Amino acid sequence: MEALDCEINDIHARIADLRAQRANLSAILLSQPHLPTRLSQRPVANERRRLHAAKLAKTQHNRNLENVYRACAGITAYKVKDPDPHAIDNGMILGVRIDVSIRDEFVETYHVLFVRPSAKNKSLLRIHKHTIPPCVALQPLANLWLPTRARDGEGAVEQNLVKFGRALRKELVSWHLRGAAVEKLRAAAGVTGTKDREEQKAGLAQGRVLNAFVSDDEDSEDEEEAAVRRNGPLKITAVDADISFRELSLLWSNGQTAIMKVTKDGDIEMAAVRTEQGARLSSVERKAKGRIEGLLERLAA
Amino acid sequence: MAPHATTTTVPDCKNIPHSHRLPVTHREVVRTLGKLSRLSLISLAQQWLMKKNRDFCPPYLLADQDPNDVDVEDQYDPAHSCDELLETYKVLGARKGGKREVLDRILEGDWRTGISMYQLATAEIQHLLDHPTALRWTAKRLAKIPNSRSAVHDMEVTNDSDHLPRFQAQTFMANLARELTPLMKAHYLLMRLKTMPITILRVYIHDSPYSTEQSLATETSSSDGAKAVFFIWPNGSPFVYSSLATHLGQVVGDDGRHLRDIVQQAIPKAFSRPSARYQLASTNFTARSLDALLTYRGPGKSNGAAGGFSIFQDHSFSQNALDFITSQKTDDAEKSGAGGEKAGPGRPKRALDDAEAPEAKRRREVAEGRFGTSAKPNDGQGLDRFEVRIDDPFPPIPNSAARADGDTSDLNAQPANRSRRGRPSLLDRSAAEIEEIQDRADEAWVPDVRVTFQGPHVFAGIRQLVEQGVVDGEKMPGWMTGEAGVTIGAVKNGRIRTKDRVPGV
Repeated sequence: MEALDCEINDIHARIADLRAQRANLSAILLSQPHLPTRLSQRPVANERRRLHAAKLAKTQHNRNLENVYRACAGITAYKVKDPDPHAIDNGMILGVRIDVSIRDEFVETYHVLFVRPSAKNKSLLRIHKHTIPPCVALQPLANLWLPTRARDGEGAVEQNLVKFGRALRKELVSWHLRGAAVEKLRAAAGVTGTKDREEQKAGLAQGRVLNAFVSDDEDSEDEEEAAVRRNGPLKITAVDADISFRELSLLWSNGQTAIMKVTKDGDIEMAAVRTEQGARLSSVERKAKGRIEGLLERLAA
Repeated sequence: MAPHATTTTVPDCKNIPHSHRLPVTHREVVRTLGKLSRLSLISLAQQWLMKKNRDFCPPYLLADQDPNDVDVEDQYDPAHSCDELLETYKVLGARKGGKREVLDRILEGDWRTGISMYQLATAEIQHLLDHPTALRWTAKRLAKIPNSRSAVHDMEVTNDSDHLPRFQAQTFMANLARELTPLMKAHYLLMRLKTMPITILRVYIHDSPYSTEQSLATETSSSDGAKAVFFIWPNGSPFVYSSLATHLGQVVGDDGRHLRDIVQQAIPKAFSRPSARYQLASTNFTARSLDALLTYRGPGKSNGAAGGFSIFQDHSFSQNALDFITSQKTDDAEKSGAGGEKAGPGRPKRALDDAEAPEAKRRREVAEGRFGTSAKPNDGQGLDRFEVRIDDPFPPIPNSAARADGDTSDLNAQPANRSRRGRPSLLDRSAAEIEEIQDRADEAWVPDVRVTFQGPHVFAGIRQLVEQGVVDGEKMPGWMTGEAGVTIGAVKNGRIRTKDRVPGV
């Protein structure tokens, strides 16, 4: 019975593989540069099939063009229609799409949708919907570059969609880059969080209690275990970061802790390092300043 | 603490520590633990017995037993050590059995001397995790109070500017306690959850000037109100959800609300720093399901793109920029479409559906277009209540349409009868009352119409109505798809009124 199930799964996997391969091949075939011309010139037996093929080639061509623009420009605009019968401006929506690439792949796509709320001043845009996570400063950027109404006094903010897009893309990309850097740091430090994972596997821990201050030097920990931990090689046991990757906290095996403030472009700006007893380690604090990427090397030096 | 503390109790300014115990017969203890399932009880007991938590919830061991007072009738023999107990609970967890068995063992056996505040708090959080729709949450936003001096600074987006309030657990707890201790005694438990990206604060309110164990145990029988308040911070977002920890069927009295308000007022103060003051702003959002809250007021991409705009959240609108394959997608769409029909609510009436298949298919596509990927019946993001007040002029009735059309066309660009047909299910409830007074209607008659939708998943329900053809999917106003992302709002010009700010941040 099990063997049969196994076989079925294998076959399913193979079908999926072959499907993907077929899709890939058809995309390549449809992308042939002279395909549309050939399709329209050669005589064919079935006219409907020819139309269908031409349509497919056209779709593929559009997709290729769109992707090339998106991949190269990073920010692209498009128009969509809001199906809501009561929508502002008859549902005309200008979409701005921001593609974020980290190293060799595009990790995420974000959208900001604009409407024209005022019938008089048609060029005035307002953010209608968006998919920007709240840890990215969208509102301050909108305040900066997208005034809500046309003010004619001096000091009025001028609407500048291009600058808005650039600034927003910078925020988003730097957020992703920080995330990738922290992830790399975790891997380099060899932090796997084994203890947490064990607890999680057992389904025991709900979470980490933040206001439970257990005195470590009492019998809460076995003496020998503590000794092993203290006298063993010094290493980083935990790397934590908040969701916007602006604050990094490290924990060492000897109970030493560090909290670091990270700027948006990935510099560690400030660091507070304390020993288990609570004394500041200013030499380590000085070493910590600099890029996130070289943090471990600097600390080890 | 001095040994004579039991005799002289003086009012003080301390928090209630984790280790203070309530007697096992206390109403809160019985209620809270009684709600939990067998599995949860066992997992909790194991958690309490873990080394780092033992200080807060010491079990009753053999060493604690008074040798002069050995009760032979005792049902549960005290264990020798915590590790032995841990083993006992592991064995209990491995085999099947009733919940009562574990509950009795905890209350009458291993923790017969009392359940500590820490245990009570973790038990209540466990119940919340087991039943994420047990409480009703109100989402608020921590907003910076505009300050003329810092206004320019707040506008800036620089390399090290921060627009979200910073959450430092220790500082926050110290500030909160400083705000609250003069008013009441409370026990706090702040926990960062592992299964969800949230931080929970539970405040157990003890309405007494004393913070001793004795004063905790005495039941203030006058009020049966909720004694605990929950606050949740979704990590990396400016929102706070608050709720009273009520038990099933418990009425929320004025006392409970008042206490919650006191804690709620203290929270922005605890967040504030010099030159960065915060206040709680309403976000017009109340829901039962935590998943729904995290979708509409959470840390992710979905806050500002609800309803039909959900297609922008995932790759259903735009594929990865390096995905050149066009054919795969159509295959998938056909497959999922067919799957949707099969699993759809219309299955029992298949024969009927087949007869009007093109019609039904079209309606399904319309619903797809209006709702996008949101409002699926089993997505766990159901809103249980959605209220709107309609501030639009009442659409003219057909026999006087000629006169009214001319009058209202400048008020409302849409033809008036269109909006009427679009909302039949909304207006039919009050239509009778309205028709009674229709003869007094003039061109801008705006009756006070309020519409409330209720159910386990309001927008999935509306989507089903569209698919069944009860609601016209094409003429339905956008707020019926939930795209405004609020649970209470006023409709003007067919749209929910919004403030002039970016939605969902």
